[in-house]
Amino acid sequence: MAEMMNKSNHLLELDDFRFFFSTKDGLVKAVDGVSYTLDAGETIGIVGESGSGKSVCAMSIMGLNPTPPGQVGGGDIRLNGQSLLSMSEKELRQIRGNRIAMIFQDPLSSLNPVYRVGKQVGEGLMIHQGASKKEALRRAVELLDMVGIPNPAKRARDYPHQFSGGMRQRAMIAMALACDPEVLIADEPTTALDVTIQAQILELMQKMQQERGTAIIMITHDLGVVADMADRILVMYAGKPVEYGTADQVFYRPLHPYTWGLMRSIPKRTLDDDQPLTPIKGNPPSLIDLPKGCAFSERCPYLRPQCRHGRLRMQQVDEGHYSACLQSFESSFLLNSPRHDSEAAGADALGAVANGGAAQGFAQRGGTDG
Amino acid sequence: MVDVLLHVEHLSKDFTAANGLFASRLGTKVSAVKDVSFDIERGQTLGLVGESGSGKSTIGRCVIRLLNPSAGTVELNGVNVALLKGRELKDFRKQAQIVFQDPQASLNPRRTIGELVREPLVIHRIGSKAEQIERVQELLAIVGLNPEHINRYPHEFSGGQRQRIGIARALALRPQLIICDEPVSALDVSIQAQVLNLLKSLQDDLGLTYLFIAHDLGVVQHISDQVAVMYLGSLVELGQVGSLYGRPHHPYTQSLLSAIPIPDPKEQRSRSRIILPGDPPSPLDPPSGCRFRTRCPIAEDICAKEVPQLVFVAPQHFCACHFAAPNPIPLA
Repeated sequence: MAEMMNKSNHLLELDDFRFFFSTKDGLVKAVDGVSYTLDAGETIGIVGESGSGKSVCAMSIMGLNPTPPGQVGGGDIRLNGQSLLSMSEKELRQIRGNRIAMIFQDPLSSLNPVYRVGKQVGEGLMIHQGASKKEALRRAVELLDMVGIPNPAKRARDYPHQFSGGMRQRAMIAMALACDPEVLIADEPTTALDVTIQAQILELMQKMQQERGTAIIMITHDLGVVADMADRILVMYAGKPVEYGTADQVFYRPLHPYTWGLMRSIPKRTLDDDQPLTPIKGNPPSLIDLPKGCAFSERCPYLRPQCRHGRLRMQQVDEGHYSACLQSFESSFLLNSPRHDSEAAGADALGAVANGGAAQGFAQRGGTDG
Repeated sequence: MVDVLLHVEHLSKDFTAANGLFASRLGTKVSAVKDVSFDIERGQTLGLVGESGSGKSTIGRCVIRLLNPSAGTVELNGVNVALLKGRELKDFRKQAQIVFQDPQASLNPRRTIGELVREPLVIHRIGSKAEQIERVQELLAIVGLNPEHINRYPHEFSGGQRQRIGIARALALRPQLIICDEPVSALDVSIQAQVLNLLKSLQDDLGLTYLFIAHDLGVVQHISDQVAVMYLGSLVELGQVGSLYGRPHHPYTQSLLSAIPIPDPKEQRSRSRIILPGDPPSPLDPPSGCRFRTRCPIAEDICAKEVPQLVFVAPQHFCACHFAAPNPIPLA
C-alpha cells in the first residue's frame, strides 16, 4: 500500500503499524502491518473477531497499551503528519482526551464510581483548556443536554450507578466530545446495550459527527453496525489486515475469503430462510503459533499451495480496495463470493418490511403467511 | 392434531426486591414475568426475544423449575411441572434440560469434560460405568468433538467447543425439551454459525423441542418456528416467524425490527428507522395499563387505563396492543 502512504495530508494515518507483546510463550504479534487513513468527518469501521487485534490497534493510537510487555514493532501513527509514536508522555497527554478521545464498550467500568457524572464530564476541560471548576461544570451540563440526557443540571449531580446503561454511554460520549476532539475512537460502543438503545446511540454519534466534523474509528464485530456507520472498512484477522475498502466495495464486492466467511455466517434476513448457515470451519489460530504464509489458510476453503509461502501483503485490487488474498486478482476466484450466492435471497425482506411502502408490497404477496 | 409438548399458561413470577434488612417484610415485589401464556409443539422451536430485564430468562428458568413460578401453570406432556416434588421432579429433569450462555461459567474447571458430560448419567443412575463412558464418547461425537479428548479440562477448549460440551451434557439424558438461554451470544460470528447449525441438525436428528432465548433477532429468526416478544415482563406479541417478522402488529416489535442495523450499507442508508425515546422503565414501578406506553409513539389515554390483552390478529399470530395493526407506527 506504499503509494497510498506517500501523501501525509491526512488527519490520522497508520502506516504499516505493528505492535507486539512479549509473553513467556513467545512473541505475540497483536497488530501486524495495519495501514489506513482517516480524514475529518469520515468514519472507518474496523471489523474482526476477538483476538483480531482491532482493540490493541486503537489503544496504540491513544498510547494506552502497557509497555512492557508491549512494544511497537514497526511502522508509524501520525496525527496531521506528526508521529504519535515519537512523542513524549507529556506531549501525548496533551493529545489524549483533547484531540483524540475514546469511548469504550463498558461505560460502567470506564466511569469512576465515586465521582459525580458532571465532574467527570467536565474534567477534560479543566485539564486541557484551563477551565475553572464552575465553568467546567456549566459546560458539562451543556454537553449532557446535547447528548440527550433529560434534566441535565440535576443529573450532572448523580453518580454513574444512578444512570442506566444507555445514559452512561451518552455520558461517555459527552465526556469524549468535551474538548471537541478531531478523532473519536469508539471501541464496541453499543455491544453492551440493548437494540433500541443501540439505535439511539448510533444516531447520536452520527448527529454529533455531522455537527462537528469529527472523524470516527468504529471498532465492532457487528457487520450491521459498520454498514450503518462506516465510509470505509478494514477487516482484520489474527492481527493482520485482510481487506480494506469503501463500505460499498467491502459489502458488495468483497475480495477476501475471510470477509466472505463472516458474511455467510450471519443469518440472512429473508423470511423463507431455511438454509443452514455456512460457518468458517475451525477456530482462529493462536497468535503465538500462526500458520506459515496466510494466517487464514488453515480455515480457508480455497487454500492453494502458494498460500502457505512467504508473507502476504495487502495489494490493491481495485481503486482504493485492498486485499491480502493472493487469489483476489483472479476473476474466476471472485465468483465464489457470497454476492454471487442467489441474488434473489439478498432481497433482505426485513429491511423491506421496516419501510412502510415495501411492507404493503409484502402484505400483498404474503397471502400464505400464517 | 397438534402435538403440544410444552404448555405455559398465565405464568407469573415475582421477586422480592431484597434491598435492606426489612425488605422482605416491607414486601416490595418486582413482577419479573406477568401473565405469560404460550405453547410449543413437539419438534418445534419457540424463540423468546426481548431486551435485558424483559423476563425472558426468568421464563426459561420457571419452565425448567430452576425457579418456582408465583402463579400459573407450566405443563410438559400434560403434567404440571410447577407441582412436582421429589422423585417426580427428578424424573422431570430427564425430560427438560438447559444450555447456558456462558460455557466458561457453567463448566466446573476442575473436572474433565468426560466427568462433566457423564454427571447427569451418574446422578440418575443410568447404566454401568463402562456404559456411561461409552455414552459420553457417543455424545461428544454427536456434538462434533473428538471422543478421545474425554480426559481434557474445559480450559483446553475454545469458547465454541465449550458450548458444544454444554450441549453434550444437556443431551445426556435424552431430553425432549431443551432451553437454550442465549447459547451463542458469547461467541464470535463465525463460531456462532457453527453452534447454530449444530443445534438445528440435532433437532432434526433427535426430534428435540427448543425454547430459544436470545436478544439477537437475526439469530432468532433463523432458528425459530414461532417467536414471542417480551417487554418488561409481559408478552407483547406471539406469532409464526414469517408472520411476525413480516407484519409486526405491536409497535414495540416494529421498533425492535427497525432498530437492528442491517449488514447492507445501501439498504441501511435508505430505510427509515424508528428510534424509541428513553429507557425501559424500572420493573419495580411499571407503568399502569400497557407497560410499553411510556415509550410508545402511538400511545393514547386508554393505554394508561387498560392492560391490553393478547388477541388474535392473524392466523397463529397474537398481539397485546389496543392499536394492533400491521406496522402500527406510521413512517415519515
